[in-house]
Amino acid sequence: MATVVIMPRQGQSVESCIFTEWFKQVGDEIKKGETLFAYETDKASFEEEAAEDGILLGVFCEEGDEVPVLQNIAVIGQSGESIDEFKPGGSVIEPAVEEKEEEVKSLETAEVVEQVVVKEPAANGDVKISPRAKNIALDKGVPYELLVGSGPEGRIIERDIQAYLATAPKVTPLAKEVIKEEGLAVAEPGTGLAGTVKAKDLSASNPVYAEDYEIKNLPNIRKLIAKAMHASLQNSAQLTHHLGADARRMMELRKQVKAKEGAPNITINDMVCFAVIKALKKFPDANAHFLGDSVKYFNKVHLGLAVDTDRGLMVPVIKNADDLSIAGLSRQFKEVAESCRQGSIDPELLSSDAASFTVSNLGNYGVEMFTPVINLPQVAILGVNTIVPRPTDLGGGVYGFVPHMGLSLTYDHQALDGGLATRFLKQIAIEIENLEFSF
Amino acid sequence: MPKSQFIDPTQVRKSGKIEFKDIPVNQYDKTIEEEKVKYSKSQLIGIYHDMALIRHFETMLNTIKVRGEYEGIAYNHPGPAHLSIGQESAAVGMAFHLGVDDFIFGSHRSHGEILAKGMSAINKMSDEDLLDMMKNFFDGTILNIVSNNHQGDLKSLARRFLVYGTLAEIFARETGFNKGLGGSMHAFFTPFGVYPNNAIVGGSGDIAVGAALYKKVNQKDGIVVANIGDASMACGPVWEGLAFASMDQFEQLWEGAHKGGLPIIFNIMNNQYGMGGQTCGETMGYDIAARIGAGVNRDSMHAERVDGYNPLAVVDAYERKMELLKQKKGPILLDVLTYRYSGHSPSDASSYRTKEEVEAWEAQDCIVAYGKELVKAGVADQAELDAIQSDIVELMKYSMTLAIDDEISPRMDLVKHPELIGDMMFSNESHDKMEDRPVDVNHPMEENPRVKQIAKKERFAFDVNGKAYSKIKQYQLKDGLFEAIVDRFYKDPTLVAYGEENRDWGGAFAVYRGLTEALPYHRLFNSPISEASIIGTAIGYAMCGGRVIPEIMYCDFLGRCGDEVFNQLPKWQAMSGNVIKMPVVIRVSVGSKYGAQHSQDWSSLVAHIPGLKVCFPATPYDAKGLMNTALQGTDPVIFFESQRIYDIGEQFHEDGVPEEYYEIPFGEPDVKKEGKDITILSIGATVYRALEAANELEEKYGMSAEVIDARSIVPFNYEPVIASLKKTGRILLTSDASERGSFLKDMAQRITELAFDELDAPPVVVGSRNWITPAYELEEFFFPCKEWMIDAIHEKIVPLKNHKVTSNYTKAEVIRRSKLGI
Repeated sequence: MATVVIMPRQGQSVESCIFTEWFKQVGDEIKKGETLFAYETDKASFEEEAAEDGILLGVFCEEGDEVPVLQNIAVIGQSGESIDEFKPGGSVIEPAVEEKEEEVKSLETAEVVEQVVVKEPAANGDVKISPRAKNIALDKGVPYELLVGSGPEGRIIERDIQAYLATAPKVTPLAKEVIKEEGLAVAEPGTGLAGTVKAKDLSASNPVYAEDYEIKNLPNIRKLIAKAMHASLQNSAQLTHHLGADARRMMELRKQVKAKEGAPNITINDMVCFAVIKALKKFPDANAHFLGDSVKYFNKVHLGLAVDTDRGLMVPVIKNADDLSIAGLSRQFKEVAESCRQGSIDPELLSSDAASFTVSNLGNYGVEMFTPVINLPQVAILGVNTIVPRPTDLGGGVYGFVPHMGLSLTYDHQALDGGLATRFLKQIAIEIENLEFSF
Repeated sequence: MPKSQFIDPTQVRKSGKIEFKDIPVNQYDKTIEEEKVKYSKSQLIGIYHDMALIRHFETMLNTIKVRGEYEGIAYNHPGPAHLSIGQESAAVGMAFHLGVDDFIFGSHRSHGEILAKGMSAINKMSDEDLLDMMKNFFDGTILNIVSNNHQGDLKSLARRFLVYGTLAEIFARETGFNKGLGGSMHAFFTPFGVYPNNAIVGGSGDIAVGAALYKKVNQKDGIVVANIGDASMACGPVWEGLAFASMDQFEQLWEGAHKGGLPIIFNIMNNQYGMGGQTCGETMGYDIAARIGAGVNRDSMHAERVDGYNPLAVVDAYERKMELLKQKKGPILLDVLTYRYSGHSPSDASSYRTKEEVEAWEAQDCIVAYGKELVKAGVADQAELDAIQSDIVELMKYSMTLAIDDEISPRMDLVKHPELIGDMMFSNESHDKMEDRPVDVNHPMEENPRVKQIAKKERFAFDVNGKAYSKIKQYQLKDGLFEAIVDRFYKDPTLVAYGEENRDWGGAFAVYRGLTEALPYHRLFNSPISEASIIGTAIGYAMCGGRVIPEIMYCDFLGRCGDEVFNQLPKWQAMSGNVIKMPVVIRVSVGSKYGAQHSQDWSSLVAHIPGLKVCFPATPYDAKGLMNTALQGTDPVIFFESQRIYDIGEQFHEDGVPEEYYEIPFGEPDVKKEGKDITILSIGATVYRALEAANELEEKYGMSAEVIDARSIVPFNYEPVIASLKKTGRILLTSDASERGSFLKDMAQRITELAFDELDAPPVVVGSRNWITPAYELEEFFFPCKEWMIDAIHEKIVPLKNHKVTSNYTKAEVIRRSKLGI
């Protein structure tokens, strides 16, 4: 019966050996004890003797092969015997290859942010905190005495401080000092920019006015205005140009309107808006919405008008204002202003999206110059000031006082360049100075 | 186990008996009258002078110790003074024939030997050589001191030099022979062939054998004498030295000029007491110490008892024994009978012996008796001898006055230079070779079978696709060690390596496979299984100027060479005042699978001892680089290896382990994996388990761990660890050493001290349990594993979400275990 020859195992840790030499050929007759083959491990070389008499029927490896230990490498038997059953895994010798562990790591290493839990400081002043956490706490003004630690045995460790910092508002350096001194916790945003906590936010009592004040919650509209105005300044690049327009023609027209019995009460404001509409028709770039990576140009002028009400500032819109005569415009203004004051205005008309341009007139109040805030996404707003006499060259070396109306154009430099804005503003002045209408 | 030697069962099983040669006892019986023809008058009177010189020197020390003055000069010497009053003839007789190239090693009681050998060298050296030596020694410091007001010839100046240098050393003066760092028990002076005297009983018994090995391997002239006491014949290391020195292979396997016995004489200064224990009749059983030779080799070590009370008997014995050594018939054992009147030390009241006994020996005093003989033989008259005595007293007064003068002979100024001793702990030199001459090798390196085999290996463990090559194809850690070592063997002719199974077997873990083919026996050989002698001889070999790699196989066997590793190897560079270098790289291997006495990581033990460098590489790249550094240096290195990873491939150095030479400086830890949330600092093979822990921390807990491999622990640079800690705030330290008192604890303490403010939790140590190492199948309960590391992090550093612990790292458990001492 055929006998199989295996690769011997030389030691517990040896997994495979390098086969170095056959001393016998297939078909050779072999005597027990004759040296049959040689092999080596990484530690030593070995020779192996035949354990049986017989004929070398077949071999399954050759010089240089790496053979796993205990694998069949040859068969000794009598001629004619089959060797197929002994072939290791087909006749191909698979080198023993170790699979390297897949190095796919779910790198969600963002450390889990601990929940911030605040407690009363221990009565005896004992606080368990790591030196590192304490250093950061002192540096950033964190009231660590009040924190519940997530470390071993409730020790406050760095991650507790980091979690606190991630949720707590920013604190000014002065406020930090006050917090350190007084051991305060800051949980509410302060009055500084973006909610930064200022030192005065921390004081329970203001040395100037003490308790002499009243805190009222904001009405909704106030909140909306605040939000819109703040957003406007944050999200656009606003600047304002100021220019004066000769107001003589306008004042003359006003005088005529007043003088004519039964004529509609066309105000200076109506006239300015009428002039603005004309100018906008010539400068479509100003009659637009800036949308970040695109601009929406309007075919019609939808004019917004800032209205001061008891409830706060409202900006109703006059749709298709360029279709209106000055009388129509005047009438519509009066209507929307009235419904604003009464609170019956259609909310659709108050949306800043609804207007393509806005006029804010503070001339009635004697304001000589101001910087109105754009109603985004509109690209500009015109501020109208009071009329003041201004020294003007009347020609022929003669100077005289001429009434001028101040115009303040705030525009979004993202959408308009200064040259265009200036020409547009100038155009408004020209329209005002050369105003024509019939009534 | 050389194949050339056949152990024939029919031969070794034959009946028979052992016959011992006779061991002569006190056979010398000549008078001075008879010896006058052989020795000149000046030689015979010189012997008298040298004995008297020793007697006065030690009488002076005794008087200072007992009375606080000598000849009216007051001085307090608080240090030791182990005197040999009575033994002078033995020392002078021993030194008489020895030349400058002959080295003596001694004991704690060796003032006499220093002076005797020093005088012998002075007599034999030419004036030119003497002056040259004195001018160069410590830049002529001692010479300048003793030249002042000197009248007389150069030899008398050299005698001043000898006496002053020895005395200043005993008084711990910076102007002493060893800058005052050796002192009474360790003073020595190599330019006169006086090698370290040793305060550990029997300490020279194996070290001196290493010096003889150095002489043989490097074909240097001269012999070596190990002066050891009769009581030291009970010490294991002395027996190990005897076994090493008498190995058959010197005669039977070493070839050519290297064939033959070691040139060494074990010279037992037999004063018949070991402290108060009487060696004959009480503490030993050899009766006559020379008997020991009969048990050591076929030649009974040519052993002989000599009457050491008669200097000429000793001189005669040395003449005959040195002739035997010339014929390469060593080793030799001499039992030189003598007696000390002085106690073991000044505090010894001699309660163990009678007054009558001491008086009986004093009645036969070696100097008085020899003086009488000289007069009787007409060599000298009494007046001449008296003049010698009074001249020596003057010399003592002169030397003492100088040596106690704080201006002339200051002590080391540790106020002004606080790091003077620190700077001497290591020599930190860098030398390709310790001597410039061709190397003895059997073939060019590129023809070496192992070198050829390694050339076919993959020097980085992974292919371009990141798939690992099979183990056997990978360039392994042991290949890295081999490359560094074989490279040095082809550079440094003095380099030798030995230990258990170093030759044909290739070392128990196959690091040396291939070296046998490359090297002749005298550069690579198997030693007895005798760790004290393996390390002790390496120390002696290095002291003389050679480089050596002793290997003791398992780390656990360090205890077997405890004195050598703890007391000898680390001390001699500084104790010599940096006269001696110690390029010894001890290879030790940390085991596993083999239970309690074969699995211990003792790096902490050696790290505790000042004066040793300690490294423990865990990758092929680090192993080769650190071994290169160890072998390039001049300091003793304990080089740790781990049996877990001899076959590990290079997983970190992506360019593969360089084929060319490179060094990795000691002390620089290496970041094996970067991370930001926690630092894991590991020593040795544990780094692979630390990396497993790091992977699991990342995958299961989203925590990114930085893994730092210490690589070496003495010296160690903490800066990279602190830098890592600044980032992470947390650190876990781990190694396979038992946790209590491990070096990790030292590191943890230092880290706490250096970076307290950075810490988000205390540094946590995960070591092995304070148990015996159990069987392989139970090792998971003993050695650190990734689960333990993660449990410890969870319990002590930062609680991990949803982590379930499997081991107990609570404070209560720490206290419980400490209370029980486990």
